[in-house]
Amino acid sequence: MSAGLVTVLFVAVALVAVGAFVATWKRDLMAALAGLPLMFGGAGVAFAGAARFSAEGDPKIFGQEVAALVAVAALALVALGVGIAGRGTSR
Amino acid sequence: MDSLHAIGFYVSAAISLGGGLLVAFLPGRGARGLALGVSGLGIAGLYASLSADFAGLVALVCYAGCGLLIAAPRYRVVDFPVGMVWRQAGAVAAAGLFAILAYAAFRGDFVHAAYKGGEFGTAAIGRLLFAHDALATEAVGALVLVALVGATAAWRVRDRGR
Repeated sequence: MSAGLVTVLFVAVALVAVGAFVATWKRDLMAALAGLPLMFGGAGVAFAGAARFSAEGDPKIFGQEVAALVAVAALALVALGVGIAGRGTSR
Repeated sequence: MDSLHAIGFYVSAAISLGGGLLVAFLPGRGARGLALGVSGLGIAGLYASLSADFAGLVALVCYAGCGLLIAAPRYRVVDFPVGMVWRQAGAVAAAGLFAILAYAAFRGDFVHAAYKGGEFGTAAIGRLLFAHDALATEAVGALVLVALVGATAAWRVRDRGR
């Protein structure tokens, strides 16, 4: 059993699509916000996969760096969205 | 990628995608937050199986935070005035996005190369973050600062309005 770059990109694309689906399907803004980290996670997986399977001589750490930054950015944007959206009615 | 890493990759992919679908279909903020945390666990597993252990740790912490924010008692419902037709169109567009990107990934002509890594690599990532790509790191730091200030301001405005 093995997994190559195409498999990694398939999973990354699926994560982005699921995130986009969550963002469009949910009527509640805060529920739709949950799709944002999924899309960012998909992008991060694509970066990490490209770094993992990159050709020799390329900076392999770069994709990991972007993946970590993307995760932090997702958390920040969710916090901002929760703060901005926190004016409705509690459920 | 050896068999052990490949098994970890596929299991993590199933967990992350399953958690993402649960986020879409589960009712209630608590269940959604938990599902997002599970999806984050899967994403961290994906990073770990791709030899990006440090990014996996960061993702684990960040997605746990996202899950807590989504499941927090401060959750407020803000409905979009969007009809069912547009939501269905958005879902179809998401499926179309998946089809297009998956086709691009499948048809892509990628270079195959051996990978000699496997180390945790925090020192190398730290050098890259704070020396080579310091501007990008500062940009994300500024984003976090703006997000926290904005969230705090929004919470204070709401509390003052009560």
